[in-house]
Amino acid sequence: MKGDQIPDSDHIARFCRPWQAPDGQIQATAFMLRSDEENFSVNWLEFLNCSSRAHEINEIRNIYSAKFTVGAGAKIAVLNVGEVRENVLTESPDRRNLEVLHDPIEDDVCDPSHGGIYNLKQDDELIAELILETVRESYSARK
Amino acid sequence: MPEIDLYKMLNRFDPAQIPSIVYGNKSIEDNSPNDYPYTDTAAWELPSKIFSKTRYRNTAFVNQEESDTFIIDLPENQDAITQATLLKSEEDQVQELIFRIKWSRSIFYQESLANKLFTLFYDAKEEDPDCLGIAAESLRNFYNFLQLHPNIKCPTISLTPDYDIYASWRGEQNRVFSIHFLPDGDARFVIFKPNDRHPTRKIRISGVATTDILMETVTPYCVEGWISE
Repeated sequence: MKGDQIPDSDHIARFCRPWQAPDGQIQATAFMLRSDEENFSVNWLEFLNCSSRAHEINEIRNIYSAKFTVGAGAKIAVLNVGEVRENVLTESPDRRNLEVLHDPIEDDVCDPSHGGIYNLKQDDELIAELILETVRESYSARK
Repeated sequence: MPEIDLYKMLNRFDPAQIPSIVYGNKSIEDNSPNDYPYTDTAAWELPSKIFSKTRYRNTAFVNQEESDTFIIDLPENQDAITQATLLKSEEDQVQELIFRIKWSRSIFYQESLANKLFTLFYDAKEEDPDCLGIAAESLRNFYNFLQLHPNIKCPTISLTPDYDIYASWRGEQNRVFSIHFLPDGDARFVIFKPNDRHPTRKIRISGVATTDILMETVTPYCVEGWISE
């Protein structure tokens, strides 16, 4: 349900644009906000109710390709919610408590697994680097 | 805005040049008066009636035979056109800066860096043709930094969501030094380094400084040693 906390044990996928993953290496810029954003988008993998990670990734690729242009070098970063929150809470100078919330989209392109990472600021390069440290898996975002 | 008398304007040029046709083996002399608004940006400030028929756009690489004549309905689209012109101007600056890097003598990995920057630029443009590609002033800030520090290793370059340059160096023991080059001449940096007294912990620092004093600012954290050749 909208606004629910995604459990720490669960996983999220973040879309990384080709210019945020040069040579296939995801960079901290994939976890930064645009100047007009207050949170960034993720997808809740367990919500998809697939039988394996491979199926989850295929589903995520379908969602991305329906929503926007997916460049050849675009990547999917998979993160564990608890690891992200713990690393940022313990290692950030202001002990930042990030919130990872379910935020389903039911517009033209339905995206029921959509969520967001909240409590970020514009000048959060250090937080972005801390999130990057917790990326455990990466996949091509193109179908 | 005052009306412009086109007849008077034409008379301010050398009359002999006006009706002439210049062929490929002749040079063109610029006889325009000094105050003539011949630049792209200035040209847009002329009354819309001048451009209601045609407008020619020339670049250094233009093929004269194919030079397009396009009709612009300025009164309705003025804002969009002004924005497009500004965007084009910024794109031109970006490409010029990348070429400056490519031909730079002080940057020893100039060619590979220029190629990386072009790749980022075209990747961003592929996804959104109306986007900046790379923020020109951020790139200029990065270029100035490289000029000041020619011995620095080639960083991994990516773009922030606002198309600013973000340079990262990663070293042994999970060392990180990253710089976000802001368009206003500032740079925000992040340093992760081992904590020698507490091997299980890391020292994590972030800050902001103008690009010209950035490396002095981070001297206490011994960054230069491992990011330099």
